[in-house]
Formats: sequence, C-alpha cells, structure tokens
Amino acid sequence: MDVTIVLQQIINGVIVGSIYALMASGLSLIWGTMKTLNFAHGEFYMLGGFFMFILNVQAGLNPILAGAISILFIFVVGVIMQRLVIHYLMDKPGWDVSPLIATFGVSIFLQNLSLKLWGERFKNIPYYLGGEASFFGINLSYHRILILIIAVVVIFTLWAFLKYSRFGMALRATSQDRDAATINGINTKKMFMITFGISAILATAAAIMLSPIYSVNPWMGESLLLKALAVIVIGGLGSLVGAIIAGVGLGVLEGVGILFFPSEWQNVIAFSILIIVLWIRPSGLFGTKEW
Amino acid sequence: METVAKTNKGKRSFVARKEYWYQSTKVLYSASAIILIILPMFVGNYTLHILTLTLIFAVLALSWNLVAGYSGIFSFGHHAFFGIGAYVSALLSIKYGLSPWFGLIIGGGIAAISGIVISLPVLGLRAAPYIAILTLGFAEIVKLIVSNLVGLTRGELGLSGIEPFTSIGSISFNLAHRLNSYYLILAVMCLVVFVILKVISGPRGLALKSIRESQDAAESLGVNLRKSKLYVFMLSAFIAGVAGSFYAHYVQVLTPSSVLGVDIMMQILVITVIGGLGTIYGPIIGSFIVVMGLEYLRFLGDDRLMIYGVVLVLVIIFMPEGIIKKVFRKAK
Repeated sequence: MDVTIVLQQIINGVIVGSIYALMASGLSLIWGTMKTLNFAHGEFYMLGGFFMFILNVQAGLNPILAGAISILFIFVVGVIMQRLVIHYLMDKPGWDVSPLIATFGVSIFLQNLSLKLWGERFKNIPYYLGGEASFFGINLSYHRILILIIAVVVIFTLWAFLKYSRFGMALRATSQDRDAATINGINTKKMFMITFGISAILATAAAIMLSPIYSVNPWMGESLLLKALAVIVIGGLGSLVGAIIAGVGLGVLEGVGILFFPSEWQNVIAFSILIIVLWIRPSGLFGTKEW
Repeated sequence: METVAKTNKGKRSFVARKEYWYQSTKVLYSASAIILIILPMFVGNYTLHILTLTLIFAVLALSWNLVAGYSGIFSFGHHAFFGIGAYVSALLSIKYGLSPWFGLIIGGGIAAISGIVISLPVLGLRAAPYIAILTLGFAEIVKLIVSNLVGLTRGELGLSGIEPFTSIGSISFNLAHRLNSYYLILAVMCLVVFVILKVISGPRGLALKSIRESQDAAESLGVNLRKSKLYVFMLSAFIAGVAGSFYAHYVQVLTPSSVLGVDIMMQILVITVIGGLGTIYGPIIGSFIVVMGLEYLRFLGDDRLMIYGVVLVLVIIFMPEGIIKKVFRKAK
C-alpha cells in the first residue's frame, strides 16, 4: 500500500479526531462538575450548525462574526436548559438516572423543534477558506487545516481557562467538593448553569467547523453524540486528557480503518472498541477512578 | 402540644391510607379484564391494530422494567433484543420456512443469548452512565450489522412478506383476523406478567431489589451479584425477543430503523417512566397512554414528538414515581 495514502488518512483522522475531542470535552466537563451525562449534547451541536447557517448563509454575515453570535446564542441555550431541566433534578433521589432520561427528552424536543422551524432539507454552508495545500504528495484543503487549528486553540483555551482563571478555579472547587465551595462563597448554582453553557459552546465550535463538510440537518447531532460518548468512556470519564487522546486515537483508527474495511463498518469498530475497553478496564484508558 | 402533633400525624397517615372504591384490587382486576378482553370485540380494525401494538410495547416495557425498575440496571440498548427477536424469527421463516411459532421461541432464545453476552461487560460496571453508554453502543452495533448485511437482511430496504402465525385449526392469525392476533399477544402479556410476578416475589426477586437499593449491602448479605444480573438480563432479553418476533409476524414488514432505531428505546423508556418504574401495571398503563396517545395525536404532525419530549421531561421532574403510584397508592 502506498505510504502517502496511509499518511493522508492518518492526517484526516487527526482532524476528525480533534472534533471528536472537542465534542467529548464538553461532555467531560459536565461529568466533571455534575457527575452526569447530557444526551442532548448532540442537539447543542445541531443547533450550533443551524445558527451558523442562518447567520452566515441566510443573513450573509462573515464567518467570524456569525460564529461569535452563534456561540453567544448557544451559551444562553445551554444555561436555560440547565436552569429549566437539570436544576430541578439535582440533589433529588434518582439523580444518577433521571438526568439521562430528562436530557433524552430534551433531545427529542430540540430535534423536532428544529425540524418544525427549519424543515428536513439538508442545508449547506460554504467553506470558510477555499483552496488546497499540497505537500509530500498529501492534499489538504485549507478548511481542514483550519478545523485542526481551531480545535487545538479551543481545547487549549478551555484547559488554560479551567487551570488559571478565577472562574475555572471556582469550577474545579465546585466539582471537588460542593459544600466546601459554597462555604468559600462560590455560587454553585450559577457554576452549574455556566458549565452547561460552556459545554454547549464546545459543541457549537465543533458544529461551526464541521458544518461546511457535512450538511446541516435536524439529526446531525445523533451520530456525533454516540461517538463523543464512546470517546469519553474510552478515555475515562472526567479526564480531559483522556478525552483528547481517545478522540484523536479514534479518529486516526477510523481514518486508517477505511483502507481495510468498507466505511459502513466504521461505527461497528468504534463501538466494539468501546465495549472491549469497558470490559477490560471499566474506568477507561486514562480514568483514575471507577465511578 | 406533643400529643396534638402526634394525633395530627396519625390522622395524616390515616388519610393517606384511605382507600377509594376504585383503588381496590377487585375493581381494578375486573375493570382491566373487561377493558382488555371484552371491549376489543366491538372495535374496528384500526383500533384493534393500535391495541395490539399497545400490548406489544407493554410486553417490551415490562421486560425492560425487569432490568431497570426492579434491578436498577439502566440499560439503554433494550431495543437491540426486540430487533434481534424480530429479525431472527423473520429470517428463519423466510429462508428456511420455519413455523413462526418456533420462531417465537428461537427468536427469544437468540435474544437471551445476546443478553448474556452483553451482560458480561455490564457486570463489571456500577455507574449508571457507563452502563447506559455501553448498552447504547451494543444496540448501535446490532443495528449496523443488520443494516450492513444487505445480502441477508436486504439492509434498509427491509424484509417484507413475512409469514403470519400459522393458523391453529380454524383460528387464523392473518391480517383479516386481527382479533385473534390481539388475543394472542394478550395471552403472551398475561404469561409475561405471571412470570415476572413469580420471579419478583421469589428469592431471586428479593435479591434483585436488594441490588437496586445497594449493591454493596446486597453483596455483603450473600447475594451473588453476577448470577442475579446475568439471570435478569437473560430473562428480560428473552421476553423482549419474543415481543420482537411477535411484532415481525404481526406487522409482516421489518426495516432496521423500525425495530432497531433509538426511538424504540425512547418509547420503552417513556412508557415505563410515565407508567411507573418498578411496578407491574405501570408499563401496561404507560403503554396505553403513550402508544394510543401518539396514535390519536397524529393530527398534530411534528408537534406530536415535541410534546412527547416535553412530557418526558415534565414527568421526570414532577412525577418520577410514575402515574400508577400516584393514582393507586397500594400498587406494588
């Protein structure tokens, strides 16, 4: 087999994997602070795609402005969702399962709401950057390179934000010990709302970058959500590094796998890895703790 | 002061225990018998079809309730067993001309075996989210396999012309005789209810409930966690498989998305949660509310599913114990 083809697939895999990592880090953030999963995370991604389509294509704003406004909108959506749904379930009996069911419900609601508002026709967003780079016989569109850059920048910003900013410290304090955080004057309720907002932003960042490649439609979040769930579990719940490594690893594996298996078996491989990892190492590859 | 408080307290518990006439088991049983057995004789074909679907979903929800409601293991991949039962039975009857009656058992059997297989990795997990993702991934694998093996299953084109249940004497089960199919699934459901009642009132049921309350406590009291979980997964997968193969021979058309889609899981979840987790009648009543509600609200179009999502959220927030425990306080 030609080395450049394999190399090309590895690079493509890293790019797709960076988006998986972006989606997964949002889920991971919510797990870290609230110890729950958000099955409506794929819908944040979907809404982000629609916001971008409306602002960039229909309203004709330039991509940077459109992206910024989409991110602002989705932040509000995330905060509202936490306040209206998750807020009422916290600290009640059945907390380990009730948010899973409730966010499932939110996901159905948002999918059908967008189906009603925007119809079932697939919508396309043009590439933000045209053209193609070519080196060592490998072709890469500038858009794909941009995806990788944005994903790295966003994830790095998130990491730095959590590590060094005052808010990030408050967030980590809340996830470590909620009572102690409250005693120290942290408004934990506000923290939870903002966490959901940030998580939604991460999904929308992924949507903004991926929408020109795939089309925008009400069901676009479903498959990516499943992937992101697989990624955070393989990487170990609550571990940001694990999510990044597992995301990129899965992307590369899929990219190279396409050379050996027909593409419709791609997801079978991804979920088989998920099951095997959980079987052998229930805490995930990089998880330190079994929840 | 103290005595007043005490009597007040006593009064309150008395009021709570007060039984209305409609809450007595006798009234409940005879009413449901009349509704389920006699009423269907007088309804049209369309209503009968909806009723049959309702009972299929009731059986499916009952089987999920066994795992989720009684044992506290929230599997989000239960639709896989439904689909496996449906496809195994349909394929056996199409390719090898096997009688659907055997298909019912074999479909259930294969589903039970896959239930055992998937329960193996689940055994090592405790946290609900891990189990949810794992089972969801398993169901996705099953769906992809079915839709990718185009040579065998015709993929998304689906299977059609699946044989109905072969007639016993003069009792035929084809689409012209929907009432017979209805009574068949009613009998299956009664059998399932009987089996589940037997299981949960026996020692195994106590073990399962203790697992739901606290795994560590259950283990320390000598409950064999592995064995109990394997058993409950196998049984509930078998029942789901039977429901699936009944569905295949009743509707006679199968596509991967109609029996293996996540929306089937959603339906199971909504039915059981609305009816009441960990109750016998909950899934049945929930199925009547959800399946019939969805069917008769068809005129709402897309809004229907939006309402569906909102209802699920509202139920989880305001009525997590389900309708059955709200209305019939004595219900188990």
